[in-house]
Amino acid sequence: MTCEEFQRVLPELEGGHNFEQEQHLKTCSRCSELISDLSAISQQARLIGATTEEPSPRVWNSIEITLRQEGLIHEPSPVAGRARVTSWRLSWLVPALAALLVVFGVVLHRPGKQPSRSAMSSPPVVKAVEEPGPELATLADEEQLLGMVAARAPALRADYESDLRAVDEYIRDAERSARSNPNDELAQQYLMNAYEQRAMVYEMAMDRTLP
Amino acid sequence: MHRSVRAASLVALLAWAVAVFAADQVRKDYHFKVHHRASVSIFNQYGPISVRPGSGDQVVVTAILHSDKAEIDTRQSGNRVAVVSHLLGGADADSGRVDYDVLVPANANVTLHSTTGPLRVEKMRGDVILEGNTANVDVRDVSSGHVHVKTLNGPVTLTNVSEGHVEITSVNGDVSLKSVSGPLVHVNSTSGKILYDGDFGDGGEYSLMTHTGDIDATAPAYASIDVVASSERGKVENDFPLQPAHSSFVSRAGSAFAGTMGKAASSVKLLSFSGKIHLKKR
Amino acid sequence: MSAAGTGNLTDASRKHSKLTEAEAIDRAKQGDADAFETLYNLHKRRVYSLCLRMTANTAAAEDLTQEAFLQLFRKIATFRGESAFSTWLHRMAVNVVLMQLRKKGLALVPLDETVESEEESPRKEPGADDMRLAGSLDRIQLNHAIGELPPGYRTIFLLHDVEGYEHNEIADMVGCSIGNSKSQLHKARMKLRELLKTSRAEKATKP
Repeated sequence: MTCEEFQRVLPELEGGHNFEQEQHLKTCSRCSELISDLSAISQQARLIGATTEEPSPRVWNSIEITLRQEGLIHEPSPVAGRARVTSWRLSWLVPALAALLVVFGVVLHRPGKQPSRSAMSSPPVVKAVEEPGPELATLADEEQLLGMVAARAPALRADYESDLRAVDEYIRDAERSARSNPNDELAQQYLMNAYEQRAMVYEMAMDRTLP
Repeated sequence: MHRSVRAASLVALLAWAVAVFAADQVRKDYHFKVHHRASVSIFNQYGPISVRPGSGDQVVVTAILHSDKAEIDTRQSGNRVAVVSHLLGGADADSGRVDYDVLVPANANVTLHSTTGPLRVEKMRGDVILEGNTANVDVRDVSSGHVHVKTLNGPVTLTNVSEGHVEITSVNGDVSLKSVSGPLVHVNSTSGKILYDGDFGDGGEYSLMTHTGDIDATAPAYASIDVVASSERGKVENDFPLQPAHSSFVSRAGSAFAGTMGKAASSVKLLSFSGKIHLKKR
Repeated sequence: MSAAGTGNLTDASRKHSKLTEAEAIDRAKQGDADAFETLYNLHKRRVYSLCLRMTANTAAAEDLTQEAFLQLFRKIATFRGESAFSTWLHRMAVNVVLMQLRKKGLALVPLDETVESEEESPRKEPGADDMRLAGSLDRIQLNHAIGELPPGYRTIFLLHDVEGYEHNEIADMVGCSIGNSKSQLHKARMKLRELLKTSRAEKATKP
């Protein structure tokens, strides 16, 4: 086997050689050195995988903003907290009512003081909790963002506020257009661009490397 | 006599003020040895950053600090260089200002972040990424590299940029593109005005889109484009004799038009929700 | 996939992290912000280093890292645990990078696999006989040489030798044949050998 023949099949060899190739390697220092070098490169390459480099904090900030924008993050909010309390109340309501009924039943059958009609006829009422609409939630987010900007760079608060108003108006117009023309590609494009603009304002406001 | 004494006193006072002011300024120089396609990042809250090509395989950073309320951190990791202005407590836009003048290899990739800027990059062949709040952004004579700009209120000007992707996102800043062409040119603005003066060449995809800003596009008579222009509430004008496009797009006199010129090599979208659009012939 | 690597946390930090990966995945499916952040912190280094090596640009690598995680989080509800989470994420990151390289018009694989190149024929080696790489090659030299490779060779080399993908997987991802993947990997290694030996020869002749 010649060097040329050996090196021609080299791309297909993955560590294993047949008898003829082994014989050639035993007698040819050049091909033997080549195999050794390529193997060293491949082995060292595996060690490159381990790394300590990491992206800047901006990357996570941007990811978090986008996830919130797309509604993929459901933060526990005061409303959700109230909803959790509400569901706690509801889940205990049935046994509580049952216990009350037992108590009243016992009391009713006892001689002596009668419970008042109003107490018997009006079981505890759990008020329905209304969730704030999306606009209120957005305003709350924006106030929080502007608060952050004001704390870091007070001079920029007015600019950010004006920018947010402008992009909010863009989003409102784009949403209205998309609702009226649900199959219109252009309307969808405007909506995406409007959200991209808002995401950028948030991203820049939350960028901790800059005010 | 009285006037000349007063004038002389004023000059002396000015000279003293300049001397005092300049005395607080400190100049620092940094040199970094790099290889092919280095990455250079500069983060600077307040103050200009200017980047242009230097000679040899090195990055040379000259920084003027305007007070002792700013420090400079530098970091080199192989072919990546990062320079960050670090502000101490009590720093503001004046005392925290640092002026950067940076020389890099022409094929380096450059990333600049600033609040106030201005940011200026010229004669580069690598990727250029610029971010600024109110920074004035000026990019000129860039070829082969991609140019990405994000700004809130600062005006953006690109001149003679070609062969790469151009993506500009601006909320209120005006965007001006002169002799800009490439496979992809996208501008997305809320209320900024968009000005384009070029040939829409390279068989690229051009999209200039704004909410309330006006769009003014000027192209030569030989432009080879497939154009769509539409404004929901604004007026739309066209100086080109377009051939009708074979699509379902419905032209509305005064508010939308579509058609082709020449071989329709490039796709051009001029879209404003409520601003005016004018496609002019040069 | 035969790639090694299950995340970047040490045992100590795993003990102290609030959520395990499995818990974080479950909670992320329900929209828990902390869970998303936990998953991000567990895997950000590996994804970022992959993006950085393939693009040689920190800004681009950060953008691609962001995009890879966003795609992952958007699809997390569909993750059923058929493969390791890190494998799933890694594959997504590779696809994001390859799409970006395609968008930039960079050839992922040199086009003509049938043309004989100089590297395939036996040639005189530069340098002296004592320039063997084995035993004297380090990561810094190799990293530098990888940065000098043409993008197409670099992609295949990184995917196979650094990230551990098999040729059939690379062929799927990049859109070439298995034979082409093997041939380009060999050429990439030969080119690296040449770059490393030339660099050594230059250093040896300097005063």
